[in-house]
Amino acid sequence: MAEHGHSDKFVYHEPGLQHQFSDMMQQEQSVSIGMWAFLAQEIMFFGGLFTAYLVFRSKYPMAFAAGSNRLDAFLGGTNTLVLIVSSLTMALTVYFAQKGNRHLQIIFILLTMLFGAAFLGIKAVEYHNKYVEGIVPVAGWNARAKAPAGAEREEAKPCWQAENLEGDNYVNPKGEFIWADCSLAKLAQDENFLTTAEKAGYFSNGQLDGDKFRDKVRIFFFLYFVMTGLHALHMIVGLVLMTWLLWTAFRGYYNADYYMPVEMSGLYWHFVDIVWIFLFPLLYLLGRHFVHAH
Amino acid sequence: MNAQEATAATSYGGGIPRINYLNAKTTLASWLLTKDHKRIAIMYLISVSVFFLIGGTFAATIRLELLTPASDLLETGTYNKVFTEHGIMMIFFFLIPSIPAVLGNFLIPIMIGAKDLALPRINLVSLYIYWIAGALALYGLMVGGVDTGWTFYTPYSTTFSNTYVEIVGIAIFINGFSSILTGLNFIVTIHTMRAPGMTWFRLPLFVWGHYAVSLVMVLGTPVIAITLLLVAIERFARVGIFDPAIGGDPILFQHLFWFYSHPAVYIMVLPGMGVVSELISNFSRKKIFGYEFIAFSSIAIAVFGFLVWGHHLFVSGQSPYAGMVFSFLTMVVAVPSAIKMFNWTATMYKGSIHFDTPMLYGLGFMGLFLIGGLTGLFLGALGLDVHLTDTYFVVAHFHYVMVGGQVVAYLGGLHYWWPKMTGRMYSEFWGKVSAMLVFVGFNLTFFPQFLLGYQGMPRRYAAYPPEFQVLNIFSTAGASVLGIGMLMPVIYFLHSLWWGKEAGDNPWLLPGLEWRTSSPPPTENFLTPPIVTWEPYEFGEGSGLELEAERRREAERAAV
Repeated sequence: MAEHGHSDKFVYHEPGLQHQFSDMMQQEQSVSIGMWAFLAQEIMFFGGLFTAYLVFRSKYPMAFAAGSNRLDAFLGGTNTLVLIVSSLTMALTVYFAQKGNRHLQIIFILLTMLFGAAFLGIKAVEYHNKYVEGIVPVAGWNARAKAPAGAEREEAKPCWQAENLEGDNYVNPKGEFIWADCSLAKLAQDENFLTTAEKAGYFSNGQLDGDKFRDKVRIFFFLYFVMTGLHALHMIVGLVLMTWLLWTAFRGYYNADYYMPVEMSGLYWHFVDIVWIFLFPLLYLLGRHFVHAH
Repeated sequence: MNAQEATAATSYGGGIPRINYLNAKTTLASWLLTKDHKRIAIMYLISVSVFFLIGGTFAATIRLELLTPASDLLETGTYNKVFTEHGIMMIFFFLIPSIPAVLGNFLIPIMIGAKDLALPRINLVSLYIYWIAGALALYGLMVGGVDTGWTFYTPYSTTFSNTYVEIVGIAIFINGFSSILTGLNFIVTIHTMRAPGMTWFRLPLFVWGHYAVSLVMVLGTPVIAITLLLVAIERFARVGIFDPAIGGDPILFQHLFWFYSHPAVYIMVLPGMGVVSELISNFSRKKIFGYEFIAFSSIAIAVFGFLVWGHHLFVSGQSPYAGMVFSFLTMVVAVPSAIKMFNWTATMYKGSIHFDTPMLYGLGFMGLFLIGGLTGLFLGALGLDVHLTDTYFVVAHFHYVMVGGQVVAYLGGLHYWWPKMTGRMYSEFWGKVSAMLVFVGFNLTFFPQFLLGYQGMPRRYAAYPPEFQVLNIFSTAGASVLGIGMLMPVIYFLHSLWWGKEAGDNPWLLPGLEWRTSSPPPTENFLTPPIVTWEPYEFGEGSGLELEAERRREAERAAV
């Protein structure tokens, strides 16, 4: 028996063909099904987070609206635009790989990487702003600022008249998560649209409690950081993939007959874009009218 | 060369082939960097056995502690850690990978006539992920362990427990990706790697079971991954996603946890059902009854399995209307399981039943899974569950399904395919003895726990009222028998590696594709790529093998 064992070493193999497949068609189908199954897995992974978001948003809509309004919708919107354009350049990368045009393929990979890096850069600016404003939901992870010596201690105002401390007024000696303003809860109370969970969750002894409101806003920022953080991690993985694609494309691995890795990386890149397309309205846009209409 | 000649050439050849997947290369690197699914399966076999041994040691400790009503062997805090680690080791590091990663990995490509899994490198990556996760979990265990129970219920796990929840949580998070990648690989392989003629309805039911379980692995596991990640981050950041004291929602944790962990119990039984379908049909020498029904009942269990998680929350403050829906759906999921049981029984009817060791395990599975499944209906019933929640009744129920189901099926499958994996036969006598000991020991261990639970003994306590002692002594005695029964295969399997009789290609005289290559198979599985012309479980002429004639010759040889 054994003497027949390695007879297939003289059989012609197409260059990209792995040993376990009998032809390129089988390999392409396998890789494609594998990638789609992986993306289904990713949907379930983010799905758990989206579930947590939806549960807490429906429980504490005003706290989430308050948190949402502190996000920078301009930077978020810019990032959305950047990612959509990067999807276009990614699609063009795949297109030129299929056409066998190595030069344009490399150019569009570089452009895709540029937009991906721009996204991460803008994201880093946003994260830094949160750090400076004292709304990172981990104690000690915010910028520290002592109250100026001899400053008058302000009279304690009820939380719905308080303003969030920003700029020169920012005082945060221990780097805590700080949040003073609960005016949106007051608005909902006055106009009588508090949810059941809010009626229990914002009040102590029938009075609006700024600390309890702050805890709910902190949940928003926790979800914001986990969701955008995991998304950014996926972007970083995408950039690593792009670097590998760039190298292999540079070496001329791809042609009109063999471009599967490019197409699969493209699927991944588009998926990560789509996650952001959901994250942006959920985190940045929902609830803005509560502030801007009143 | 047509298929029949090809198989005839390789079917009855005795002895061990000069070059096979075990001795093709022998360096350590050739094992650690292999892309061969069979070698990866062997490495999984060794690894899961180690974790089974660790988990088993914890189980023995629990049973010893419960021998007496007072908490005398362990203090209560240590006891909490011991049962937690028993659960974590057994569920995440033994039961979930056991049949898929060992038997599935080894057999799926051979059964469908492929050279390897579709994504061999991913397969190796998943083994390494499993090792990393296992090492991290063991590290967490050495530095102090966890005491939350394997369920990690919040807010205890997020706020109050002073143990190593983050490390072990992250270990399980990492381990999840091993499971996801294995499932993904199986889905792709079953879709694209089938040999010519191997249509979907010619697949062995073992493969159908693995297709169903892969769907659950790919779609369920990411949810527990993100949940445990949230628990770990919440412990670190002190934000109230799950802790109600600062606005979180502990019921949300239970929903997310059981959204995976209920389907996960099907991960822990569907592959076992696949193995048993093979055993029952092959050792009855009869075409399986209702092939399509068994195949689709696996898929149905996988689908319905995603819709019943709420039955773990009947007393947790879930809406009673949701409870009613979940209770109903729980009854529905019993239907496909029952379809399997009836079809196996009908398969054996008028079959030529051979009581070899694997079949003893297969029959043991049917008996134990029947009890496990029926008591599941008790727990799925909305009213009765209030009485039984968190008692030993629950413990007995899920051990009947997981140990009586999956572990017994795993042992049966291991005995059945051992000659294929190693080329050697184990001692049939000791095999039968161990199968009997496992069955008797298992029932003696866990049946008393149904009674204890029904009488109200709660789970997860080191001490109990003295009136429960008699049944606990039965249980501990049974556990000793069970332990011996499960350790015996380790000895005679190892013995067989050196001194076992050479098995030959087809020791059981069966028609499946895996019996048409040499034992152990060559690295590329088949010397000539097979073409399938026969229906599944075809014992007659149609199989292209002269099984009857060979059986007669064997009987004559035995008579001489």
